[in-house]
Amino acid sequence: MIKTIDGAIRVAMADLYYLKRNILTVLITVLVLPLLYFISFAYGLGSTVDETEGVTYIAFVIPGIISLSTLSSCFSTTANKIMLQRRFYSSFDEIILCPVSSISVVLGKSILGIIRGLLCSTVLIVLGLLMTDDFLITPMLLITILLSCLTYCLLGVVAGFLVKGVPTFNLFNSLVILPMTFLCGTVFSVSAMPSFLQVIIAFLPLSHTTNCIRSAALGWEFPWISLVLIIIYGLLFLIVSKYLLDKGRV
Amino acid sequence: MIHIDELVIKYGDFVAVDGISLDIQTKGIYGFLGPNGAGKTTTMRALTTLLKPTSGSITIQGLDAIKDMQEIRKRIGMVQQYISLDKEISVRENIICHALLHKVPRKEILSRMKELSLMLGLEKYMDKLILDLSGGWRRRTAIACALMHRPKILFLDEPTAGLDTQSRHILWDIVRDLRDSGTMVFLTTHYMDEAEALCDHIAIIDGGKIIAEGTPVQLNNLIGKVAVDFERGGKVITKTFASRDMAKEFISENIPEDSTYSLRKTTLEDVFLELTGSGLGGVVDD
Ligand SMILES: Nc1ncnc2c1ncn2[C@@H]1O[C@H](COP(=O)(O)OP(=O)(O)OP(=O)(O)O)[C@@H](O)[C@H]1O
Ligand SMILES: [Mg+2]
Repeated sequence: MIKTIDGAIRVAMADLYYLKRNILTVLITVLVLPLLYFISFAYGLGSTVDETEGVTYIAFVIPGIISLSTLSSCFSTTANKIMLQRRFYSSFDEIILCPVSSISVVLGKSILGIIRGLLCSTVLIVLGLLMTDDFLITPMLLITILLSCLTYCLLGVVAGFLVKGVPTFNLFNSLVILPMTFLCGTVFSVSAMPSFLQVIIAFLPLSHTTNCIRSAALGWEFPWISLVLIIIYGLLFLIVSKYLLDKGRV
Repeated sequence: MIHIDELVIKYGDFVAVDGISLDIQTKGIYGFLGPNGAGKTTTMRALTTLLKPTSGSITIQGLDAIKDMQEIRKRIGMVQQYISLDKEISVRENIICHALLHKVPRKEILSRMKELSLMLGLEKYMDKLILDLSGGWRRRTAIACALMHRPKILFLDEPTAGLDTQSRHILWDIVRDLRDSGTMVFLTTHYMDEAEALCDHIAIIDGGKIIAEGTPVQLNNLIGKVAVDFERGGKVITKTFASRDMAKEFISENIPEDSTYSLRKTTLEDVFLELTGSGLGGVVDD
């Protein structure tokens, strides 16, 4: 365990140096998207919608935006960085060539994404606390945010390993990430959707992270099944990326 | 030290390496010489465990390239043809990251980095981003990275491609120093003069096959020690001979008094052209 984490940090060092050099630009890019979501949904839409699922719209939507931004910032940071290092800098070869276990490589490549996801969530949590009294910080909120960051970073690792270049990366984005962003009950309740779509939506990981984060933040009964599903998704992405690495498909 | 047995590597249907077998025992500098697309990089990627062979086996210091992959990775260093550094961080940061990845003890990292930056003349560039460096300095950085963990075998893929003459000679000296300090160096090149000047042992590869192997002297002897260049029909023709006397005899019988010719030692270039078939009939484009 300690060896795995030690290896992961060694793998992450180059990304951390990058972060240190570009901390300002990283912060700005991390914050723009969630703030735009916040302004357009919480203020724009919020003023026209009264209550959703028994709470004010603003209290309903902030946990959704947190969930959404963990997906978008963790996934794109991780997948982009790996694609760049594999296809354009070939510096990923250096990582393959080093005597560090493949689990460490996969986790190490997730660290930059997790940091960005957490930065982004922190800002949104502060906004949530300021904007509405319904929003609570609970241990489960922090745990689910961390878990969803990790899960989406691992998805980013899988995508980064699979894509052949920018076109396939965009394809993955349009076919997997974008539909999730719009469908999974982040900014409006899933109950408004046609029932066949609800079935599909129930399988997507973002539905479950949204569900967990919202319940934890609003003090609703915690959906343990969703938490288990998030963990299963995370493990699945971990296994797939380890497999790709071990088989030399990267 | 390196043993390759019937190595075949395919990309889809395309056979890039076509049944190479080699037994490399030398401790010094081993050169893989071949034209573009010969399969040098592909072979080297298989030797460094970056690529799984389609069939055949590779053992390095008695370790199997697939089974003992991790163990081999500890013992080798590699500089790729296309410099594989993280471009958005500095030279120093690249070197440190590399050392950490290879588990160089933290106490040693700074002293080793200092030693290598001195040896490679990198001191002034340590805090520059790789993006801001020219090709030669990027390559020196990559070499510093590859040497941080004191590899027993260093693989260099086209180490001097794109370098100016001065940098090239500096690099040759570095490679020789490494050999003298006991590191085995395996390099690829398509420069004949480089192979001849630098390598203790050479394999000539073309179309995924080894077509000759030996020391530079052995290779030269394959086609004779002496070469004669002369003009015929507007073209320069080269013929090779086993001895000076045979060459002189040929000259007095075949070359008219008033035409020019030159008598010289054979070079690897002659060997290469003759063996790859591009030199059949002794035609050399000059
Ligand atoms: N990833 C790949 N997919 C398909 N074909 C490839 C791939 N990499 C190399 N090849 C082909 O395999 C052959 C050998 O390539 P390789 O890169 O090993 O040559 P090389 O001897 O290193 O040449 P160069 O001097 O240009 O570097 C070439 O014909 C090349 O087109
Ligand atoms: Mg090559």
